Amino acid sequence: MTEINENEDARAFRSEAVSLWRITFGPLIWALHFTASYAATAVICAKGAPGAVDGLRLGIGVGTAVALIAIIWLGWQAWRQWDLVRDRDWENDQGTGEDRHQFLGHAAFLLAVISFIGVCYVALPALLIGSCQ
Amino acid sequence: MTRPVPLPVAEGPYPPTEEMLSAPVPPEERERGTAELRAAWKTPQGWRYFSAVNNTEVGIWYALTAFGFMLLAGLLALAMRVQLAFPGMTFLDADRFNQFFTMHGSAMMFLFAVPMFEAISILLLPAFLGARDMPFPRLSAYGYWCFLIGGCFVMGSLLFDAGPKAGWFMYPPLATEEEGVGPDIWLLGLSFIEVASIAAAVELIVGALKCRPPGMRINIMPLYAWYVMVVGAMILFAFPPLIAGDFLFELQRSFNWPFFDPERGGDPILWQHLFWIFGHPEVYIVFLPSIAIAAMIVPTVARRPIVGYSWIVLSAVGTGFLSFGLWVHHMFTTGLPQISLGFFSAASEAVVIPTGIQLFAFIATLMVGRVRMTLPMLWIAGALAIFVAGGLTGVMLAIVPFNWAAHDSYFIVAHLHYTLFGGMVFPLIAGVYYFYPFFAKKLLSERLGRWAFWLIFTGFNVTFLPMHLTGLMGMPRRVFNYPESAGWGTLNLISSIGAFVVAAGFAVFVYDLLRPKSRQGQIPRNPWGAGTLEFSHDVPEEAWGVRSVPYITSRYPLWDQPEVVERMDAGRYYLQDAPDLQRETIVTSVIDAKPIYVQRVTGPAWITILAALFTGGAFIFPTFHIYKPAIVCGAFAIACVLYWLWTSTARPQEADMREAGLGLRLPRFASGPDAVGWWAMWITMLGDATAFASIVFGFFFYWTARPDFPPADAEHAIGVWVAATALLGVLAWAATLLAREVNRRGKVMLARGALVLAPLSAAAAAGAAWLAVRDLDPVSHVYPAILWALMVWLVVHLGAGIIMQCYCLAGSLFAKVTPRHDADLRNVTLYWHFVALKAVVTAAVLGLVPGWLP
Repeated sequence: MTEINENEDARAFRSEAVSLWRITFGPLIWALHFTASYAATAVICAKGAPGAVDGLRLGIGVGTAVALIAIIWLGWQAWRQWDLVRDRDWENDQGTGEDRHQFLGHAAFLLAVISFIGVCYVALPALLIGSCQ
Repeated sequence: MTRPVPLPVAEGPYPPTEEMLSAPVPPEERERGTAELRAAWKTPQGWRYFSAVNNTEVGIWYALTAFGFMLLAGLLALAMRVQLAFPGMTFLDADRFNQFFTMHGSAMMFLFAVPMFEAISILLLPAFLGARDMPFPRLSAYGYWCFLIGGCFVMGSLLFDAGPKAGWFMYPPLATEEEGVGPDIWLLGLSFIEVASIAAAVELIVGALKCRPPGMRINIMPLYAWYVMVVGAMILFAFPPLIAGDFLFELQRSFNWPFFDPERGGDPILWQHLFWIFGHPEVYIVFLPSIAIAAMIVPTVARRPIVGYSWIVLSAVGTGFLSFGLWVHHMFTTGLPQISLGFFSAASEAVVIPTGIQLFAFIATLMVGRVRMTLPMLWIAGALAIFVAGGLTGVMLAIVPFNWAAHDSYFIVAHLHYTLFGGMVFPLIAGVYYFYPFFAKKLLSERLGRWAFWLIFTGFNVTFLPMHLTGLMGMPRRVFNYPESAGWGTLNLISSIGAFVVAAGFAVFVYDLLRPKSRQGQIPRNPWGAGTLEFSHDVPEEAWGVRSVPYITSRYPLWDQPEVVERMDAGRYYLQDAPDLQRETIVTSVIDAKPIYVQRVTGPAWITILAALFTGGAFIFPTFHIYKPAIVCGAFAIACVLYWLWTSTARPQEADMREAGLGLRLPRFASGPDAVGWWAMWITMLGDATAFASIVFGFFFYWTARPDFPPADAEHAIGVWVAATALLGVLAWAATLLAREVNRRGKVMLARGALVLAPLSAAAAAGAAWLAVRDLDPVSHVYPAILWALMVWLVVHLGAGIIMQCYCLAGSLFAKVTPRHDADLRNVTLYWHFVALKAVVTAAVLGLVPGWLP
């Protein structure tokens, strides 16, 4: 009769772990990409040889590509979890397990979109600026 | 020995059926429940009133105190505007002007904006969630008293002409070299308040995660709760870098360790990094909760559910993340590489997107709804207008070349006041009007409210709009005087007149807020026709929060579950009585809010005030370089906290189960991730680890910023003792972990043995850490200084860990910690995971990294 299980939180987290990871991973990839780009620039500009900036820009380019691919993949997974095309439910505002699951997918999808834009923005300076000074 | 019986889990039907919910509660049972709840939740009377810890009392004190500090900081602003009204004024001298602008900024940020968010959340969050109280009421009360003591101390310094005067950002070397106690008051007084802020953040996050009513899944909880979680998390990651910065700064002021002294290898820019890693997210920490208030008001006035709930969640989470990538836009003129500036410029532009989405969601809701222009909505409309203007200048300032031109001019003053008034002050006042019937059981005056609005709105624009011009004409901020030939006189006079109009508006607002309203009579229960749970409150007031904890299936239960209020009142839901006359609330699971156990909530106590007084002593005495009484106060503060933990938290209960209502039987004790205490520890440790990471960041920062770090002829930490620190630290952790595991299996004696070994090993680790750096002279250069700072940080944490291990040992000896009731031990083990990590990282930085650096 009861739907409450032993160690309810641990169990619920196991079942929704993937969606919660998806919610945090989009912005987290942005944060890692940002921190890595900033730290690499700080180190190369302070300690690197004069020609090292080209290597830095190439590195940031590769890092950006990897980050964007990861975000697209997360976004695609989240889009499928949101399941908009099949049930046309934009709001997911019911107190059911299904709506909760799809809501988490929706939020993760939107966060993937914003993270994608954020990563593109951060990569722009490396594309446009060719020296530390 | 046989394995002990595990703790019981919830039994009985869940979720409740419609049939169960519509079954009436017998009148005598209902009356018994009412009487029991009234007795359990009674507010202390007479002078004992100040021992109250209930969220409604503490929340109101907190809000009024923060508001009082705001008015004081506003008076400082008025004095500055008088000084700037005409060229060559002599109303304030330069020294006092410096104290005033420093304290105006510091007080508005640390004594008003952040505490106000916490005050309002402590007051409202349990009501949004249909909870009886916050999970740790004594922690809220302790935080409040710390805030009051610290705030009076910092603000009071002005009366003795001893206030800090280097600006609210305290840049070294100006602030490190400043004569007098001003900077110490700022550093120690505000660190003290930051501790209270973090305590409240922990309380609020755990409240939003674990104290929701049954059925309120994560996708239907009020948007306010989402914002509270995001902002709480931001506080956890933003404040610790500042605390780490304060720690280094005060070590320099008190002991002459040269962290920010370039002569001895230090670098003032490190302070700017640590300060702004805090300082920029801080802007969003004050902005988001106010927007959250708007997110509660807008659907009510539009009389329909908010449009794009998921989009607003996205915006809150997205803004929370992106706002951490902006700190360097306060440092565009410090000479960082161009590419680095570009990253921060780009991130500053990117944050506009989620911020904009929130505003568009509100506008969309208003457009599709049938809007009533109530007083709260008027203030929200004003907020949107002003905030959009501030956001536009923000986009301008995020562009590096424009920023160089406008840097340190009044254009910045105009921008930041537009964002903070539009993003915080106006929505906050809207919230006061909107929620006043909830917490005061009265309504504010419609007429006075409109007067206050138009005075403040007009006055604000008259004050700050001209500052865009004076700024572009080159008027520098933070200068107490200007010559007539500069040509800024007229615009400044207009600004000063506007400031007095704003003050008049606030005077009307304060009068309306505080005037006696006894003739008003009883107000209706839900005067705005809102759909969320806080307006199910009792009129006239009852202190129990909710009569029974409802089962929720919708985002707007008051609109969508028509019988919910009647059933709550009739005690047809959960916890409709209090058989032990103890305060209790229901704790649910994080994602789906299924009931897990009934948490006993602490009641009125003086110990929290005592603990706050001693904590205050521990922070305030060192300001005047008096250390012995400070240490005594610190010891007493720890004793007070231990006393209240020992006597009233995580104690084994007489009966394992509690009839929770609707046939559901819930356990009365939980341990590990089910329990609120475990979450509080985990969340606190995230913040603590961030502070530690900031100090480690400092080490690597010096390496990139300084060619002579570490100096070629430097002495290093002694390798043997460094290795011993890591090994003994890990041993202490392993012994704690062993104690937890064998205790759970019923081998109590073995667990006690491990709990004797653990603190001994931890003490040995602390000794080894000290021996490793003992011979280095921290005054000579920043390299030994930062090694010492890391050592001090580790030793303090090992010390706290030792206290916790001894607490568990005592708990085991006095049957507070048993194989079945091991919440304390599990929380302490969680703490030790982090300490072990710190010991290993500290040892690596002390011993290994210097050899690897090129």
